[in-house]
Amino acid sequence: MKIDKEKCVGCGNCHAVCTMGAICLEEDGKSAVNQDECVECNTCYRVLRNEGYAPWFVRAIRKVLSTFRLGYLAEVDVCPTGALTPPELEWPRNLRAAFSDVSVPHAGTGLAGRGTEEIKTNEVTGRIRRGEAGIVVELGRPGIGATFRDVEKVAMAMARVGPFFEPMNPVTQLMTDPRTGKMKEEILGEKVLSAIIEMKVTKDKIPDAFKALEEAQKEVDTVISVGISSRCLPDGTVPHEEWVRKLGYRLSPNGKTNLGLGRPRFQED
Amino acid sequence: MTNTLHRRGTPDSLKNDYVLFFLPAKKVNANGSGSKIQEFMRICLKYGTVNMGDGRQGSVLRDGVDLQKYIADKKDGEMAAAVFTDLDTLQKVIEELIRADLGISINVSGLLQEVQGCCRKAGIERHSVEHSLGIWGAKDRLPEREVLEVNTLCGHGMVSFNLIRKMLEYVKLRRLTAKKAANIMAKCCECGAFNPVRAEQLLEKMVKRES
Repeated sequence: MKIDKEKCVGCGNCHAVCTMGAICLEEDGKSAVNQDECVECNTCYRVLRNEGYAPWFVRAIRKVLSTFRLGYLAEVDVCPTGALTPPELEWPRNLRAAFSDVSVPHAGTGLAGRGTEEIKTNEVTGRIRRGEAGIVVELGRPGIGATFRDVEKVAMAMARVGPFFEPMNPVTQLMTDPRTGKMKEEILGEKVLSAIIEMKVTKDKIPDAFKALEEAQKEVDTVISVGISSRCLPDGTVPHEEWVRKLGYRLSPNGKTNLGLGRPRFQED
Repeated sequence: MTNTLHRRGTPDSLKNDYVLFFLPAKKVNANGSGSKIQEFMRICLKYGTVNMGDGRQGSVLRDGVDLQKYIADKKDGEMAAAVFTDLDTLQKVIEELIRADLGISINVSGLLQEVQGCCRKAGIERHSVEHSLGIWGAKDRLPEREVLEVNTLCGHGMVSFNLIRKMLEYVKLRRLTAKKAANIMAKCCECGAFNPVRAEQLLEKMVKRES
């Protein structure tokens, strides 16, 4: 994101809205974006209504008010002068938008958000089958952000276990080699709101997968949200509950349920 | 779109928080799904969803949204989310979606046992389930628990920690009502998965505790 210095009146509304806390006031009394920290999520641009006031008008009003020791506080969800300006993004910086702005679809999967269907269409895709667990490792979430350097560290650690990295996942598509988890060199410095490493393993490999993740989490300076999924048995039992509890991990009381209403149904062999 | 998997909170607070998703499979049944997503949204509206949206058009809680036009603009291959705040309504919505037989994947985020109960009452067994195993890594970088609860109402992380704190301050100073503050935060969440009713309750709880 860019801020037009000619228009900015330094109201500060964009500072709080910024998902990465990347906007601050500079000595000239105008806001500026730390380009290293900005993940191009566009939240500030979308949420703050452009009131369309001329900057000179806002500044003049403020000056008059300050004469009487009064302050001018804009409404919290506006940019009084429309100073926020989304730039044209080029590779690899455009990856920031793809992984942070939910309105931007991922080029490789055609999906917005974090770009993957996971188990949400499992009844028609057969992505996770009986005896398998889907593991999602989302770096940067909640609210901290992650670089692809962090993503690579975790992906490479997990790759040693020999999982199947989901090919219809945007992170897998950025790997130079899914057997090693190595990411493309030119993207490593790019920061995103979050990115999901998505894999499936057979149930016997779950202990090794979590052991690898236990070690890898110490190597990154961000948070990781972890999820596990499986296809239910005919009576609705969730197989991974037993597999994971045996390892001593606690499962959340809430989660995601695929109701199985999609058609045509995937038929397992 | 793991965006609702990691919602935080006590089981008691999660009792009022269920998100339904309509998601066509890109290579399987996305063609021709436009009229089906419109039907999905009409059903959700009929049962009083408190928020709805998708990545392309954003949340219906944004300023100046014409709901009928919003629904009419839905196209093939698009997804949608809708939020409900009680189990009885969720039950009715699931039953009506089964009757509508849209043939597109429907997922529910929320307390798993309660959702399974809804499925069984409606005469179906769940197909697949995903659990959260919580937050790993540099947990010392996380904010206070209540802020995290509000932040995870938008799993894509579009509601910043700083905005939540600012809204809390504004409610404490009575510059905004908790409801208005919750709606401002809801506008950040493009998918419409943010639960403004639960956010309002959380803000009120935080204000009460701090005053």
